[in-house]
Amino acid sequence: MTVKANTRTVKGNHSFRLNQISRRTEALFHVILGLFALACIIPFLFVIIISFSSEDSIRTIGYSFTPTAWSLSAYEQVFKMGDQLWRSYFNSFLITIVGTVLSVAMCVLYAYPLYRKDYKLRGFFSFLNFFTMIFGGGLIPTYIICRNLLGLSNNYAALIVPLLVNPFNIIVMRTFFQTSVPFDLVEAATIDGSGEYNTLLRIILPIVKPGIATIALLTSLAFWNEWFLCLLYVTDRSLYPLQYLLMEMQRNAEFLARNSSMLGAVGAEAAKTLPTQTMRMAVVVFIVLPIACAYPFFQRYVIAGLTIGSVKG
Amino acid sequence: MKKFLSLLLAAMMLLAAIPAMADSPVEITILLEGNNVTDDAAVLEQLNAYLAEKIGVTVKPVWGTWSNFNDLALNAVNSGSDEYDIMFTCSWTSNEYAPYAQKGAFVRLDDPDDNLLAEYGKELAEALPAILLEGAVTDGIDGEGIYAVPGFKDFAQMNTWDVNVTLLEKYGYTLEDVEKAGFYGWGDIFATVKAGEEAETGETFYPFIFEGAVAERNVNLTPAVAGDGNSVLSYYMNAEDAAQPGPNGNAFVSKYSTPEFEKYAKQMHEYYLAGYIDPAIAIGETATDAWRNAQNTARYLISTEVSLYGYEVTTSAQRGIQVAYIMSTDSPYIDNTSVQGAMMAISANSAHPVEAMKFLNILNTDAYVMTLMNYGIEGVHYTLNDNGEVVFNADARATYSPWTNGLGNVTILPPQEGQGADFQERFAAFYAGAKKLPIYGFTFDKSSLDTEFATIVNIKDQYALRLFTGAADVDTELPELIQKLNDAGIQKIVDEANAQLEAFLAD
Amino acid sequence: MQDYTKTAPKSRPLVSSARLKKGFWLTTMMLPVTIWLLLIRYLPMFGIMMSFLNYRLPSRKIPFPRNLLHSEWVGLKNFSFLFSADSLVMIRNTLGYNVLWIFLGLIISVTFAIMMSELTRKFVAKTYQTMMFFPYFLSWVVVAYFLFAFLDPTNGMITQAQRRAGGEVIDWYNSPGYWPFILTLCSMWKNTGYSTVLYLSAITGIDRSQYEAAAVDGATKWQQMIHVTLPHLRPMIIILLIMNVGKIFNADFGLFWSVPMNSSALYPVTQVVDTYVYRAYTTTGNVGMSTAAGFLQNLVGFICIMAANTIVRKVDADSALF
Repeated sequence: MTVKANTRTVKGNHSFRLNQISRRTEALFHVILGLFALACIIPFLFVIIISFSSEDSIRTIGYSFTPTAWSLSAYEQVFKMGDQLWRSYFNSFLITIVGTVLSVAMCVLYAYPLYRKDYKLRGFFSFLNFFTMIFGGGLIPTYIICRNLLGLSNNYAALIVPLLVNPFNIIVMRTFFQTSVPFDLVEAATIDGSGEYNTLLRIILPIVKPGIATIALLTSLAFWNEWFLCLLYVTDRSLYPLQYLLMEMQRNAEFLARNSSMLGAVGAEAAKTLPTQTMRMAVVVFIVLPIACAYPFFQRYVIAGLTIGSVKG
Repeated sequence: MKKFLSLLLAAMMLLAAIPAMADSPVEITILLEGNNVTDDAAVLEQLNAYLAEKIGVTVKPVWGTWSNFNDLALNAVNSGSDEYDIMFTCSWTSNEYAPYAQKGAFVRLDDPDDNLLAEYGKELAEALPAILLEGAVTDGIDGEGIYAVPGFKDFAQMNTWDVNVTLLEKYGYTLEDVEKAGFYGWGDIFATVKAGEEAETGETFYPFIFEGAVAERNVNLTPAVAGDGNSVLSYYMNAEDAAQPGPNGNAFVSKYSTPEFEKYAKQMHEYYLAGYIDPAIAIGETATDAWRNAQNTARYLISTEVSLYGYEVTTSAQRGIQVAYIMSTDSPYIDNTSVQGAMMAISANSAHPVEAMKFLNILNTDAYVMTLMNYGIEGVHYTLNDNGEVVFNADARATYSPWTNGLGNVTILPPQEGQGADFQERFAAFYAGAKKLPIYGFTFDKSSLDTEFATIVNIKDQYALRLFTGAADVDTELPELIQKLNDAGIQKIVDEANAQLEAFLAD
Repeated sequence: MQDYTKTAPKSRPLVSSARLKKGFWLTTMMLPVTIWLLLIRYLPMFGIMMSFLNYRLPSRKIPFPRNLLHSEWVGLKNFSFLFSADSLVMIRNTLGYNVLWIFLGLIISVTFAIMMSELTRKFVAKTYQTMMFFPYFLSWVVVAYFLFAFLDPTNGMITQAQRRAGGEVIDWYNSPGYWPFILTLCSMWKNTGYSTVLYLSAITGIDRSQYEAAAVDGATKWQQMIHVTLPHLRPMIIILLIMNVGKIFNADFGLFWSVPMNSSALYPVTQVVDTYVYRAYTTTGNVGMSTAAGFLQNLVGFICIMAANTIVRKVDADSALF
């Protein structure tokens, strides 16, 4: 850590850089964070480049930032999927939006009482939630309950319900309450005669907006990237989310590779019908783009506190 | 806990008590493997109208793909769900036929008390070669018998070397040279071709790109042992006559500790060091891609293929070169893994086993049903040319292409374009000439040794592919592997397998 | 809002009937999640039983759940494959990587979050954050392909460059020595953005007036960080630490399976519990064994979490999980 105080500006109350780090330290921060941020984004640009590279170029010089020839064939292939592609896109959006709204609402409702020091059952409910992070029944028993008892099979519910609660998010949310909501506030509201739901909705929620935005972002990401539920509970293609289409391509290829010594010529013929590497990359682009577009929107709230801080400084 | 169990029990009884409507046809659900089907409405409409009239059954196929079949099957079997009446099964994926028959996932079809096959599958039993039904016999939960209907397809193994004859002749060699020199004598040919190609293109050229496990099988004549999907055991075949006992007699040995294996691995390592072998085939995830890619672009001299009848015609046309397959055995041989390569079982949880059997019977014997299900509707998905060969309509076929071999008796299908009107006769004759291995019918039951097996598989996975492809330093890594295998109790597995084989052969 | 906080009166004892009523309404908030947890998490826990059984498949004659009663009790047999001589390596790898990554991840992301919060150009900070979060969107399979594009033995960018330079060409996928470093890099690359966002949003929740008060008292930036920022981050840090300690015997399957391209030469440094169990499961198809492995992982995690939580509770009861 090379954080150095700029005590002079703090003392001289009217300085421009009030209670800020020195310019030199900030420059250093920019270099470190900037380089790392760049390293994070380059591979995605690489995927985009690969998705526009021609098959010939990949065969001769492999993956490259500067392919010998460009091509739209990967996207042409993707669009050939036609209805299935748009249908899956729609499914992904539907599942993500409905799932995120329900999930965040449930999460906040559960986390708030856990934050309340004066709530008697808080220890019990904390443990009820926490215990499931550690112990689970395993795949098959969960499958039996979900499918046979709850009827989660070939419907949208099967793609949403099993993912509704993330015990970890509940704990993170509770921690957000703890760090940003002074308990005095709750007590003051109670004395003013505010009901519990009213206190939560009108007084507490606006304060924890950044926390909610963070949880919403993580939750929507989980729904958007989900494919395993589809594998388990859904065989009807009209319900497939986009992520599953990609996984299907990937897993088809893996299966044929793993079993080629048994499948032999049959496998070789089947492998020829598989989507190409560039097409898979194009699907990745399709999957990542909506998140990339939606993320800045969430981020407005996530960063809200930062901006307030700077205005006040 | 107890309360919940009884609750669930009650719910299930309630469901079972709902009587089936007597008059309407019974719907059978089939879980299939390896398909590419996105629109089956038209086909099912025709198929179900026909089936309802003939046998009072309609079908609802669940078109499993390579990517999801195993999980669907595994979950259905383990959870005891009654959603599927008929399930594809085989001996080579994780959904193995014999273990599931033994654990009770499937109905025994020739159960003496309730012989579905004799009662509702007479035509089917007659249509299949006796050897197929013999190979389907396994020691299941209700005694030794048939627990699934085997598919009538390419049921004999052809392990071959795939030779790029065009490239070979470019450097003055002939197919006979390759055959005569044999695996241990290919060094000179590789050297010439590699040097020539690299001088010409200026790029690295690997003449020898293959599938590790198959290359070892080709050289040492060690067929895959049913039940040992992981190649821990070796059975050495008789080189002159596959039907006779091998050099070690009818016994298994630990694959990696034989002198033959060491000799093979040393030779491979020599080729590897000389730069004849693409390093990419020694890495698990890239191996198949590298090897198939080299084949498809004709950038190889010698490769491997688990081939089938008439396949060189197809590949020669696709790759734009002349491809030849050199068989590693004197004739195709029949073993359990090939006979049990694609089967259909009736789920032990099916509510309609009789109707399921009726359907399997008509599917495997009625050419109309089989063709409709496999190729779609004539005039929509395909047309017949003057020779009576099937010509596919590419657009319609793109939304409806089931995996042909996964559906059953392919010999009642019309030939495809270019195969010739008498293809099915030639095909059947070719496989009728195949020889049975002396251990045919034997499946290793490793269920009592799951613990040892789990450890050993993890150990051998670390070395096997690298030894098969020559990437491993044999002098240090092979003794290391053998030592670790011995420590983990490989001898126990070999002894158990031999004891089981002895009992099997004595029967 | 801020003003409201400041003018709030100090806490006062509340009347008990009001307390009961309040408790009731708070309990109703818990209901949706509680029902979900009971149905989807607690009900299936009967499956733990399968760890000790030679699981018999259900059939029409003996349907589920009666098949459980007909399954043979085998005691601890299903666990034994985890304790062969060979399994020491995977246990070492699992624990080693986890411990290293927990601390490395904590240090890097807290540092980044603090650095980010100090930047004056908020737009730039926002941009960094957006970019850093990106890898978290990508699946390990995709990451594996990125890496392969660089390290591919024939066409990879790095290997090509080495060949052109005439130097020694490293056969990455056959050289275990590099991989602890590569895997650490991949893990940090993918997860740092995510935890940085968590910490950053906790920092933004801190009342700025506390910094001003500290600054007025003459605290340096460094001192402010030690005395204001870190104490506020403490609950979050502790929670994340305890959580990670609970997963100490679990590994990110995708990372250890896909990223090394399942190269067997690398197993000595890439074999972890989850890949070991997966290999065992796909070859034996034994549900009992994989359930047993999962149960053991849970048990170890539970013990670790309880231990960590007890320690935390002793030091700072408020930050404890329960």
